Parts: sequence; C-alpha cells; structure tokens
Amino acid sequence: MAKDKSQADDYLAPLKRLLVGLLVLCLIGLFLLWRIDSPRVERFRAAVVDRVVPSFDWAMAPVTATVNLVRDFQSYQRIVQQNQDLRNELQKMKAWKEAALQLEQENARLLDLNKVRLDPRLTFVTGVVLADSGSPFRQSVLLNVGARDGIVDGWATMDGIGLVGRISGVGRDTSRVILLTDPASRIPATIQPSGQTAIVQGDNTAAPPISFLEDPDLVRPGDRVVSSGDGGVFPAGLLIGQVAADPGGRLRVILAADYERLEFLRVLRNPGTEVIRDPGALVAPQDQRLAPSPLPEDGAILSETEGSNG
Amino acid sequence: MAEGSTTRVWGMRLMYLALALVLIFAQLIPLDFRPQAWAGPDLLVAFTFAWALRRPEFVPALSIGLVVLLADLLFLRPPGLWAALMVLGTQALRNRARNLRDQPFVMEWLAVAGVFLAISVANRLVLAILMVPQAPLGLTIIHVLMTLICYPVVVMLSQWVFGVRKAAPGDLDRLGQRI
Repeated sequence: MAKDKSQADDYLAPLKRLLVGLLVLCLIGLFLLWRIDSPRVERFRAAVVDRVVPSFDWAMAPVTATVNLVRDFQSYQRIVQQNQDLRNELQKMKAWKEAALQLEQENARLLDLNKVRLDPRLTFVTGVVLADSGSPFRQSVLLNVGARDGIVDGWATMDGIGLVGRISGVGRDTSRVILLTDPASRIPATIQPSGQTAIVQGDNTAAPPISFLEDPDLVRPGDRVVSSGDGGVFPAGLLIGQVAADPGGRLRVILAADYERLEFLRVLRNPGTEVIRDPGALVAPQDQRLAPSPLPEDGAILSETEGSNG
Repeated sequence: MAEGSTTRVWGMRLMYLALALVLIFAQLIPLDFRPQAWAGPDLLVAFTFAWALRRPEFVPALSIGLVVLLADLLFLRPPGLWAALMVLGTQALRNRARNLRDQPFVMEWLAVAGVFLAISVANRLVLAILMVPQAPLGLTIIHVLMTLICYPVVVMLSQWVFGVRKAAPGDLDRLGQRI
C-alpha cells in the first residue's frame, strides 16, 4: 500500500508542479499583458464585471436595504433630538428659499437682458449604484447603465448637487465611475471667485487636495470649486465643492456631492466641446480667405464636363 | 469508503468556491462610499491560507488562481499579479503543511505571517518596478496586520463551521490510504 502511494506520488508530483507553474505563468502573463496593452484587458475586465455583478444584484439589493434599515432604526433612538435639529434647519431653509427665489428671478431677468443661451445639449442618463469598488485602496462605484444606454468613457457623473466622478470602463449593462476621491482621479478645476485654475487630485481621503495652484494666496477657505472644462475633460462649471484648509495648511476640497449615500447618479451626456483647429480663419477675414477657392472648383467642373463630352 | 471521501473532497472544493464568492460579494455591497482611514482584513486570503494548511486537497491551485483572479478583476486591482502571488504563497505553505502539522498554532501563525508579508512586499515591489500607481503604504500595512489578527478567528471558524481540521494520524486520504 505504502509503496503504491509513493509510486503514485512519484508520477503525480512533478506533473502537479508543472501545472501549477503553468498556471502562475498564465496569471503573470495576463498581468504583463495588462501592463502593456491596458485598454484591451480593461475591456475584458468590464465584460467580466458586466457578467458577474448584475447576477449578484438579486442578493445585493435586499442585503443593502436591510443594513440601511437597521441604520435608520438606530437613528430612531435620537429621534427627538433629530426632530429639533430638523425644525431649526427648516427655519434656516425658509430664509434661504426666499433668497434663492429672489436670486432666481433676478438671474432670469439678467440672462434675458444679456440674451445668454445656456448649453441645451447637456442632458443626462440616471443610473442606480450596483456595487462599490470592494477594496479599501480604490474608490469607485458600478452603475447599472452601460453601452446599451449610450454611456461613453470619460463622461462626468453627478449626484443631485455636485460632481461625483468620471466614467471609466463601460460594459454592455454596467459602467464604472471612478470617484473624485480615488488616487487615480485628476480633475481640472476653477476656483471661484478668484478664477484660479488647479487640479483636484484624489488621494484616497474624503477631501481631495488641490494641486498645481498658481497663487494660493488668492484662494480662501469657503471658495467654490467648479470644473473648468480644460482639456475637454468635463463640461465647465459643474460644482465640485468648497475649499478648506487642513491642519497642515494644505488646501483641500470638501466635496459637494453626498458621498455617504450615493444611490442614484446622473451621467452627463457630453457631446464634446468644439475645437478650433484652423488659425487662419481667426486671423484673416473670412471672405478674403475664401475668395480664391471657387476658381479651382470651377476648373474641375469644366474639365469633368469636357471629359464626358469627349 | 474511498468513494465517500472523494465526494467529500469535491464537496469541500465547491464549498471553498462558494465561500469565496460570498466573501467577494460581501465586499462589493454598496454601503459606504467615503474613503476609510483603515483597511479591513482580507478574509479571502486568511481562509485560503487556513484551508491550504489544513486540507490542501480542498483548495487546488487552479481554484485559488481563478477565485483570486476574479477578485482582482472585480476589485479593480492589476489583474493576475495578486492571483499569481497567492498561488505561489499557498504552494509554499502547502510544502510546509506536513511539518507544521505537529507544531503549536503560534508556529503556523508565524508561517502564515511570513508568507503573507512576503507576497505583499513582492506585490508592491513588482508594481513599483513597473510604475503602476499604488495604494498608500500605511493602508497596506494596516491591511496586512488586520488580516493576520483575524487569522485565528478564521481558523476557528473553518474548524467549527466548515469542519476543516488538520489531518489527524490515522485519517485516510482520497485513495483510502493513510496520509
């Protein structure tokens, strides 16, 4: 018996080792392929996520709902306190609402005076959050809208108020949003009212720091940070958050979007900004530049008719 | 007898896959989107190591490779690298399993800590050499420590709930022979 087993081991052990070696080589090969040709493997990843995560959805939705229910139940314990707080807030809100209404009317009048046409092409698709990144090192969420709904890589994603992130990875039915807090996220931004441009750079903390700021003295905590639209990354003017200084004196953005509860996200359809490629049209008046051009066209037509006649 | 133990082995292999899917699923539940200052334990790694040390036949290299590759793909990690390191790490533990069987638990814990640290450092080194952006070092250290702290709990769970015990003298293997 013992002899049989050792013989079987003699046959099997090298074979097993070979197969394990082969497996490790395949995995490392996949990793190297990812490093060399990232988009192709990322498409494969999107396809896998597209297949796997929606099949979890039937279980994920009730579990999420239950946990949220328990959390809400815990908040019943301090319901009196909460009620008081809410009443105070409501009082403040009423004052703000009044101010907002007046401002809205004023704004409408001013826009009318200036004959401003806001970009009407900025529409959005709303998706439900299916899953988060599952890793403490990356910050992303999966949405239940994908290529089927016309989602394209690079589009901006917002909750009701502020910018949340950017689409990166689109499957047929799902797409991944890299949040502004992810270490890979870089968003060009403008700081109002000073008009300074900067980059909001995610670093896996709740408030991403502002970098590449030209003159930090012009920026104060409390200033609004909006997307600048530089590089055609995002449409300009989407609210990102407010400037705050951390204890080390570094400027950070307190995000306007409610990251505690991301449930529904809007993906902004961005047809892209028009790019001016031809400098001549700007330098010279248009009719002068176009004047010689009809001649060769006429010539071409003439020669063509001649050819057909002959 | 031999047939019964074969079905048990295959049952436990399926059990490992199911457990891994449940762990991955639990991490994907969208509850909190704020970045956290600390990283939770990687239960998938802890379970895989605990099972590989106790009953290597329940966690063949292929299923470890596939499960961790799936986790790599879903968790937005560089695909393949961590899976390859996990296969190598469990292989190293598997080779030592026979010696560790008679040792106290602390020795096993140290062995697991050594292997996990080694593959984490290897992971960071490879990523650094290939200039792939990485998570902050502090977070990785917390991650490794939490996983190691949770390891005894995972071992107890796998013994009492899943019945994955060290092979005792006199147990029979798949072919009905003494291990």
